[in-house]
Amino acid sequence: MSASLYTKRRIKNVVAMALSMLATAIGLMFLAWILWETLSQGIAGLKPQLFTKITAYREEGGLANAMVGSLILNILGILIATPIGVAAGTWLAEYSSRSKLGPTIRFLNDILLSAPSIVLGLFVYTVIVLPSKWLTNGDVTFSGIAGGIALALIALPVIVRTTDEMLRLVPGTLREAALSLGVPQWKLTMQILVRAARSGIVTGVLLALARISGETAPLLFTAFGNNFMTFNPIDKMPSLPQVIYEYTKDPSPDINVLAWAGAFVLTMFVLALSLIARFAFSRSKVSHD
Amino acid sequence: MTNMNEVASQPGFGTSPHASGVDLGQVAPKMFARDVNFHYNDFHALKHISMDVPEKKVTAIIGPSGCGKSTLLRIFNRIYAIYPGLRASGEIILDGENILDPKYSLNRLRSKVGMVFQKPVPFPMTIFENVAYGIRHHEKLSRADMENRVEQALRGAALWDEVKDKLKNSALGLSGGQQQRLCIARGIALKPEVLLLDEPTSALDPIATSRIEQLVEELKKDFTIVIVTHNMQQAARVSDMTAFMYMGELIEFDKTEKIFTKPEKKQTEDYITGRFG
Repeated sequence: MSASLYTKRRIKNVVAMALSMLATAIGLMFLAWILWETLSQGIAGLKPQLFTKITAYREEGGLANAMVGSLILNILGILIATPIGVAAGTWLAEYSSRSKLGPTIRFLNDILLSAPSIVLGLFVYTVIVLPSKWLTNGDVTFSGIAGGIALALIALPVIVRTTDEMLRLVPGTLREAALSLGVPQWKLTMQILVRAARSGIVTGVLLALARISGETAPLLFTAFGNNFMTFNPIDKMPSLPQVIYEYTKDPSPDINVLAWAGAFVLTMFVLALSLIARFAFSRSKVSHD
Repeated sequence: MTNMNEVASQPGFGTSPHASGVDLGQVAPKMFARDVNFHYNDFHALKHISMDVPEKKVTAIIGPSGCGKSTLLRIFNRIYAIYPGLRASGEIILDGENILDPKYSLNRLRSKVGMVFQKPVPFPMTIFENVAYGIRHHEKLSRADMENRVEQALRGAALWDEVKDKLKNSALGLSGGQQQRLCIARGIALKPEVLLLDEPTSALDPIATSRIEQLVEELKKDFTIVIVTHNMQQAARVSDMTAFMYMGELIEFDKTEKIFTKPEKKQTEDYITGRFG
């Protein structure tokens, strides 16, 4: 009787194992395929000039200006989103328990998290790019700043959410222990809780960075793009995803190869960020344990 | 520190020298509760509790889960107040002043009444900083004085010899028992008068537990201690006075010896002898 029960269980176990391994294999296969495809198609374009020359030279050029532009845009986006996001997440986790506003803001933040990025791009176009025309006597004012703000709107909900969640993972007893020493709430928050949740919060910021570094849509009407190297944030600014988008549509095969090479560089960058976030910082999400 | 005369000079004290009517011998109550009620929203968790906590003695609070023993302890330093929907009424007099009075400063209360929790909760900082952190909030000390105070506190918690060479290491690397003694050091570093221990050994192994119990024995020379424990043997071993609580009521409060040998109430006897709880 019990022997047949065990056999049945063993069969069920084998079937469940096989199915989940199959599912994993399918997921990993696509990842490997994507990596292989970008590498094999872009390898012809992975030359030193990819990193030294700008897009203005077309086939003879590289993607240096797009990479620099992407770097600046991402840094701007993260610099704008991090302080606001960490502060908002901290408020949600630590101060909102006595107010009805907390759940509402969490809900709205989740909506922002899933908002289509092109909508956010159009929003920034409407509220920043168009109104600032009067500053320049009517010239269109696409800029790196506007692009950075659009990216910040995408990074913001990610950072708010991870900060909120990481702080809520910090055990309540740590709060009680600090408060029982007579320490006020703000000191507890700034000096103990944020420190306890630090690695989780940094992970959130890195994941937000990985997320925005692949965004094209919000940059179309904000940073606009530029075939020349620029470090000026109020200038039109090129970015890697946008150049990839334009180069992919180009009829010239040599330009297509550059798009593939750019895609490979971008994929590697995002992969590296995710790996750093995973291994360097999330060994324990809440370092208290 | 208080003495009998100071306490006796407080209004109302003369009419009822011992709120709970228990003879404490020659020992003055450091703190006493009078008709304390506690509500979790609509739930009446503590009902008319009156008890005296004698100075420089160990008072144990025992009772089955949910009887309100931790709740009572958490009123003694008003830590409950950080959660919405909880309220306490009645009086808890510490050195002649009612700590439940909203005018009584939390800062002052918590420097006088320290607390150690069930699970060891070191802060995510170095061992030294863990102890120095609370002191720094209440006092400005020179570097040398601070080092001195930290050493004293760690010695007081019987931890100094184990950590003196690694004060700069993270406190999170200590064992559970060491972490709990660090929490005690952190508490006594503020030189409180009362020390509240909320099941301080329930997350520890037997060896760490016995070290903490020895420590409690030592600490009562300097501090008034209230310990909540679900372990009756522990209460019998470490305490001078024992309070037995059941369903939010203080059933019996007397000398530990008496509670464990010839309790007055049937419920106490049933609990002590393991018939329920």
